[in-house]
Amino acid sequence: MDRKIELLAPAGDIERLKINLLYGADAVYIGGQNYSLRANATNFSIEEIKESCDFAHERGKKVYLTLNIVFHNEDMEGVEEYIKEVVDAGIDAFIVSDPFIISHIKENYKNVEVHLSTQNGACNYKAVEYFKDEGINRVVLARECNKEQIKEIIDKTGVDIEVFIHGAMCTCFSGRCALSNYVTNRDANRGGCAQVCRFAFASDEEKDFTFATKDLNMAEHIKEMMDIGIKSLKVEGRMRSLYYLATVIGTYREIIDRINDNTLTPEIMEKLEYRLSRVANREVSTHFFDHEADWTDQYYTGRQELSNQDYLGLITGYDKENKCFIMVERNYFEPGDEVEIFTPDKEVISYTIGQIYDEDMNELDVARHPEQVLKLKMDQELPQYSMMRLIKKAK
Amino acid sequence: MKIIIEPTTLKEKYEHVDGLLLSLKDFSVQSGKYYTLDEIKEIKDNNNVEIFISMNKNFMNEEIPAVKDMLLEIEKLNVTGILFYDVALLQLKKELNLKTDLVWASTYMVNNTKTCNYYNNKGVKYALLGKEITLEEMKEIIKDSSITSMVEVVGLPSVAFSKRKLISNFYSDLEKDTKPSIDVVEKVSGETYEVTEDKNGTNFYLKKVVNGTVVIKDLFEVNTPYIILKEFGIDSNEFYELVKDTKDYIEGNCQNNEYIEKYKKLGDFTNFFFKKTIYKVKKNG
Repeated sequence: MDRKIELLAPAGDIERLKINLLYGADAVYIGGQNYSLRANATNFSIEEIKESCDFAHERGKKVYLTLNIVFHNEDMEGVEEYIKEVVDAGIDAFIVSDPFIISHIKENYKNVEVHLSTQNGACNYKAVEYFKDEGINRVVLARECNKEQIKEIIDKTGVDIEVFIHGAMCTCFSGRCALSNYVTNRDANRGGCAQVCRFAFASDEEKDFTFATKDLNMAEHIKEMMDIGIKSLKVEGRMRSLYYLATVIGTYREIIDRINDNTLTPEIMEKLEYRLSRVANREVSTHFFDHEADWTDQYYTGRQELSNQDYLGLITGYDKENKCFIMVERNYFEPGDEVEIFTPDKEVISYTIGQIYDEDMNELDVARHPEQVLKLKMDQELPQYSMMRLIKKAK
Repeated sequence: MKIIIEPTTLKEKYEHVDGLLLSLKDFSVQSGKYYTLDEIKEIKDNNNVEIFISMNKNFMNEEIPAVKDMLLEIEKLNVTGILFYDVALLQLKKELNLKTDLVWASTYMVNNTKTCNYYNNKGVKYALLGKEITLEEMKEIIKDSSITSMVEVVGLPSVAFSKRKLISNFYSDLEKDTKPSIDVVEKVSGETYEVTEDKNGTNFYLKKVVNGTVVIKDLFEVNTPYIILKEFGIDSNEFYELVKDTKDYIEGNCQNNEYIEKYKKLGDFTNFFFKKTIYKVKKNG
């Protein structure tokens, strides 16, 4: 049985949006240059929103715009005009936390959906019923809900429910944290969160007090989430790299598709989990979904990010004359390295690095300059936005 | 302008106040003191003042029946209002046709006039304004909104709430017995935060008293209906002296500058009254 569930991806710019959609996302959420909780992301102009919607709609996919800051009076100036511009650009839904904004959109635009942001902290069926009465089309639940609670909310309200499945987690209830405001003067609820929950605080004990959480990874629970009737699976991370997005979205796409066609074996799942682990820069957990989050879901050692150098490059074209694919290097590699090239069409090609050429077909001993345009021999032409990742070093 | 206090000292009679804010045990968070319903009943019986009960948790499904029962119990008490964070309470008020008024108190979200008006149109009578907005922003809301505003002027600011047991988790890692509260220091600013934990989760307080005595006159001049003074973090004797002096100050139309001078002793921390947060949204889409 093909259980339709949406895979929803984050995009901080138009290239990320295209990567997400090409690698299997059903919908993408973006921030405009106003009113989004990721002020540091590049974010989208009205023209880019229109281009994004056109690109998505041509492929039968959707684009949602986050409008989920907590508004001060000054932020309200111009927001109604901005909403109209975004609707005219073709947006499919707004993700909103402020109930006044919800009511404004519902009263004025019949053909656009409104999704309640997780920032609102909805975590019970009565809260969801309230917003259902307000005309909300979907609720992004608070990340503190467990499986049984989510199921009960779905069963009792019938409202479309979206939950996070992958990426960074807030330590506190989303929206119920002003640590950033107090520690750094950066407004957490207006896009300036400084992630103070990842700072180490001095304590009277032998270690600093830290309360950062591990990242979320729900790969092993996707089938359960589909079974209980969740409508949308959301990946966090509008500022993540192209490689990260292609890998994470491509992997979840494969998990969902294999669940639907009953081909997800334990061996394949292990391989897919490994693939996700290679782009993770923190340890992962399932947090509240299957247990009350406890000390195993946190870090106690200050900052935790690990860098990952598996991503070797983005394939940008093909040189027919020299039978080479063209790529932009991201990380060091050399002849003899065993790599995989993965494509938006889900093809995975094993490849051993041979001769490496620069743009002008001068042979190089190694690829050592990130952002350098390189050419590598291959008879097969590769689709744009294919990527190359390291599997095993030559030495 | 009425004075509400949130007491942490149990007294038979609270003098010089117009109202009491009491956080209901098991149904509220981010408070320095929680009261059972029986305690609230007793306080109400002994004090002929307005009573506001805080039920500001984010409730999970399994708590909803108890929330419903509690709202029905409170309905019998004839209190002035119930503070809520979770709109489940507003939904239940509607469903149960409750007469007790509600106070929109979603901590860091009560920040603009239009959303205050939205809630007022939904039958919410009061709003406890966010304390992370400026005095000027508060004055705009107080003047322009149809809702009845409350402003927290003195007390330790509660700055975050987590459902996680962050102190227990910390001590689990240390393999030591946990504690109900600890002080931790942010290393760059040197500021101390008091972290407290109970079965509902973990609260963070900046351990520095907000001294809003300097803004009371401004708030008085725009006819602010309510100001709130919180005892948590302040010496009890000093606090009740402050309450009495504040009552006198307001009754004298905030003309007595000696009050301002006297309460410089509370410190010069004025929270966000005169300081805007940064990362304001950019215009031009």
